[in-house]
Formats: sequence, C-alpha cells, structure tokens
Amino acid sequence: MGKTRIKAKEKNGIVTVKAMAKHEMLSGVEAKKAGKEINFITHLKAEAGGKVVFEVSMSQFLSKDPYISFDYAGKKGDQITISWVDLKGNTQSDTDTVK
Amino acid sequence: MMNRRNFLGLGLGVAAAAMVPANLAAVDFRKEKPKAWSATKVDEAVKELYGAAATESADVKLKAPDIAENGAVVPISVETKLDAESVAIFQDANPEATVAVFTVPEGGIVDYSLRLKMQKTGNVSAVVKTRDGKLYSSAKLVKVTKGGCGG
Repeated sequence: MGKTRIKAKEKNGIVTVKAMAKHEMLSGVEAKKAGKEINFITHLKAEAGGKVVFEVSMSQFLSKDPYISFDYAGKKGDQITISWVDLKGNTQSDTDTVK
Repeated sequence: MMNRRNFLGLGLGVAAAAMVPANLAAVDFRKEKPKAWSATKVDEAVKELYGAAATESADVKLKAPDIAENGAVVPISVETKLDAESVAIFQDANPEATVAVFTVPEGGIVDYSLRLKMQKTGNVSAVVKTRDGKLYSSAKLVKVTKGGCGG
C-alpha cells in the first residue's frame, strides 16, 4: 500500500486521468498462498472541483496495483483527488494537478 | 421466468433506487448489492446487480485481448455513447463473476480502462445500464495461456 500515482492531462476540455493505486489486491487463493489475509480495494473515487468525476466498486479480480483510466470534462489546473478504501478499512487519498 | 428469488431481488432494487437521491455522489455497490459480488455465474451477477438480464448491443464497446499471455494482467476497456448510469464488468474465469461496477456521474464520459486477473480462458463482459433503466451488454472471449490467480 502506498501513494496512488496519478497522471492527468487536458485536451479540448476533456481530462484523461491515468492512475495506479498501490495495493496487493489479494484474492482468496492468492492470500492463502502468501499466508496473508484476503484484502483488496473495494471502492475508489476521483474528485475534481468538489464533484465526484469517477467512481468504481471493485472486486479481488483487479490486477495487483490496479491501474485505471477514465475521462471527464474538466480543465488544466484542476486539482484531482483519488481516494480508495479497502476491505480492511484502510484508506488512501492523493491529489495531483491536471496538466 | 420470475422465481421468488429474482422477484425479491427486483423489489429490493426498486426500493433502493427510490431511497437514493439521483445525484448522490458515492455509491459503494459492495454495500448496496452484496449478493452481486458472490454470484458465481455472470447471468446471476447481472440479475443481482441490476434486477434483470441485459441485451447484447453494438453500442457497448468492449475491448479485450484475443490472447492474454499473462492472466494476472488482462487489460480491458469499455466505451459507450449511451446515456449510462452504471457500467459493470464481469468474467466467467474466476470463482466469482463480478469484477467492477462503475457509477457514472451526471454527464460523465464512459471510456474506462482497467486491468483484471483471469484464472483461465473465459468470457469478459460489460453491461451498461442507461438512465432510463435499460440494460445493454457486450462480451468477448479472452484466451489465457498462463493463469493469473496464483494458479
């Protein structure tokens, strides 16, 4: 677990966000193998300008260090915050500026 | 066919929809529809999540590789111009079917990419729920040469 890497770029009023959250995303089988407890990000959202611009509820079937990308109508200089919560209740929140 | 279980699920869905204001920001589908995440079949998961079955549509553009050499990282993307309220990703290669459920904000753009794990060869599918309550889907077969769930 750690900082979420965020890359956000605006073009013609559309901001493309690419983000990689740092999380093991252990499914049942994987957790057993690693001798750890099952744990994965369950909900991730992105906020810009006080509005939720993206959100997803997730399962254990997303790859380790889940990568996601999405678009939203925004502008250069927007502060975009991506936050997530996992099965154990750990949370992580990171902010980046749209380029 | 309407059996008791589906009927109840449908009722719950309607009740939940009535209680939640339309512009509510964060929807955690894991809390709202816990059963949808334990369903082992795609059809069941779609029903638990949305209360009905989806119709195949070319308006749902799902991109996935024909062959995934590494099942641990299968890149997929889903795109639609439909006025979507919610988008969900499923597969039938893992013990449970549901992968992710996106909530589309008002006026949101549906062009999502993510990477998922697949234990073996299977179908990846995407279901789009429009704001007028219709369900559309698209599916694609992905051949997995090396399983990605520790297998």
